[in-house]
Amino acid sequence: MRKIGGVLLATLLLAAVMVSGCIGGKEEAKVVWASTQLNPPEERAFVLEKLLPPFKDETGIDVEFVPLSYADLSTRLAGEMEAGKVTIDVIGDLHGGLDYFNSQGWLMDLSDKKLEGRTFIESFMKYATDKDGKIFYIPWMSATYVMVINKDAFKYLPAGLTEEDVIKGTEKWTYDALLEWAKNIYEQTGKKALGFPAGPKGLFHRFLHGYLYPSFTGYEAKNFDTPEAVKMWNYLKELWQYVNPTSTTWDSMADPLLQGEVLIAWDHTARIKNAIETKPDQFVVVPVPRGPKGRGFIVVLAGLAIPKNAPHPEEAWKLIDYLTRPEVQVEILKNVGFFPTVKEAADAVPEGPLKILANGVAAQSSTKDALIVMIPNLGEKGGEFSAIYREAFQRIVLQGEDPAKVTAELKPKLYGLFQEKGLEVP
Amino acid sequence: MRTRHLPYLLILPALAYLLFFIGYPLLEALYLAFTKNGTFSLETVRRATSDPMFWKALKYTLAFAAVIVPLQLVLALILALAVNRAFRGKDLAIYVLVIPLTISDVAAGLIWYTMLSDHGFMNKLLMNLGIISEPIHFFGYQYRNMEFLAIVIAELWRATAIVFVIILAGLQMISREYLEAAEVFGAGYWTRLRRIVIPMLKPSIQSALIIRTLFAMQVFGVVWILAGRDIPVLAGEGFYQLTEIKDYGVASIYALTIALLSIVLGALYVKFLKAEYLEVRQ
Repeated sequence: MRKIGGVLLATLLLAAVMVSGCIGGKEEAKVVWASTQLNPPEERAFVLEKLLPPFKDETGIDVEFVPLSYADLSTRLAGEMEAGKVTIDVIGDLHGGLDYFNSQGWLMDLSDKKLEGRTFIESFMKYATDKDGKIFYIPWMSATYVMVINKDAFKYLPAGLTEEDVIKGTEKWTYDALLEWAKNIYEQTGKKALGFPAGPKGLFHRFLHGYLYPSFTGYEAKNFDTPEAVKMWNYLKELWQYVNPTSTTWDSMADPLLQGEVLIAWDHTARIKNAIETKPDQFVVVPVPRGPKGRGFIVVLAGLAIPKNAPHPEEAWKLIDYLTRPEVQVEILKNVGFFPTVKEAADAVPEGPLKILANGVAAQSSTKDALIVMIPNLGEKGGEFSAIYREAFQRIVLQGEDPAKVTAELKPKLYGLFQEKGLEVP
Repeated sequence: MRTRHLPYLLILPALAYLLFFIGYPLLEALYLAFTKNGTFSLETVRRATSDPMFWKALKYTLAFAAVIVPLQLVLALILALAVNRAFRGKDLAIYVLVIPLTISDVAAGLIWYTMLSDHGFMNKLLMNLGIISEPIHFFGYQYRNMEFLAIVIAELWRATAIVFVIILAGLQMISREYLEAAEVFGAGYWTRLRRIVIPMLKPSIQSALIIRTLFAMQVFGVVWILAGRDIPVLAGEGFYQLTEIKDYGVASIYALTIALLSIVLGALYVKFLKAEYLEVRQ
């Protein structure tokens, strides 16, 4: 009896193998898309359930989405390149990572490929092109950090600053004007109306290295302890008198904005989205102020690249073409809150809360004095990098230590991180 | 099967559980904390202890325990004595007192955050009553003392119940005969409390103290919600090192420090709070 069962099972298995072989006989291409982006479960669900099915319906190309951490991706890619057997067709990663892969010579040149009906934002294209003029990735999604203003705050604008200045980000919208404004609100209402996400999981360190430092010193880290930096810290100390003290416990600004605890806040677009969606009439998103050296702000830029010797380059390019279409980019913005990289998509965003955000982001990236900053690609040392700025803030602003002394003390540690990774100090 | 093997066999599942869920992570933590490139090294320890946050976290963790645990003991004792008599609605009262036990520490933190924030219930109430004109600020680095107070309040609210339950159980085990006999000899309420109730409660008090003190070493959720890293504690800093800085070695040092403190404090309790049983006292 047992024997018969065994034979039956073996026959069944054999049949199954044959049948599956027959189905796959046409040798349909399966594109492997490795990505460090869209990895959280709900974003992954969006990719699998909404983003990819229309592509398969249209082209018949199957896509295997492989979410990876940066460390895993870079190890895998290095291994595949060394072994000469590449399995990845499309890489979705942040600018820093792609830049590194390109410097290793792992990425295909996409300069001669054309995409119809879309204009990429120039500054993004600039980042995607290396010094030899090679386009090594196609800008895919972006994110940034902006200011949100509760419209009530406009009642207390300081003399010489108009609502339009703030919304458009003109010359007059400076950090000094912000200080005046916050002071004004405090004097007239007794309210410390300015708020930052300076809690343990908040992104306040990004404000320090990506906004204040470049705006005051021209660089993220290079001028860490210069007289300009000391001036910047003294400015922040003064500003902090009008910052809601609860800031040191806030991880995101959506709730404080909705509660009315603050009227002006700075945070990541994804972390304030909720406030704008809840009360779209109450808030506007505006560019950040400018400093003496320009208007520093961070752009998080993700791109799509094809590794050299990828098994299905044609199909890979079709996927890239699909992912950068304006309507697909709007879909991405709606679902996961990343902003488009093509101009046509910005116009295709429907009216409503997202439009408010998109307008603010667009206004910020098109200011004349824009000083775009990228988060340095320090890999697992990224946490330490952030911690240095947080420590400086804690010691200088909260504990009142001398900025010159603290920055001089921390500078070797900061520079050391870049040295260790073999990167230039940005 | 011979019966003398049976006890060992029965203890095996528990042993396997301990080895897998406690022994293995402990070894892993020790490895992360005390090695570098595979050889023994104290570098991670130096990195952890050279950060002033480590000492602050240690100080605050002990300070919380020193403030909260005695308060909880006294409060729980009073509550237990109040409830441990026949009155209408006694069961209901016990249920109500135990409710906070069912709430997680993070949820408790959030509840107290909304109660105490500038626009929270407490401030609104006091302002409407005309007692204060400006809200009392509880949160933010410059109000660390108030944050400390808020955490103490939230912890008292949340975790006194566990001490209360243990002490109430202890109280209910005390035979009425002792108390009646004492009464016959003319002992008043205080005398009975001091000479009979408290000594007989010692085993319960010891258990409650050990449990609470050990939990206090791990205090985290409430602090994290109410004060962020304004007030660092060991568990919070360990979490921060692990998730934000990604320094697994230093995170392990924090975890091991908590473990070490727990062992030392537990041993001290057992040594100095020897339970006395009235029956066996000669």
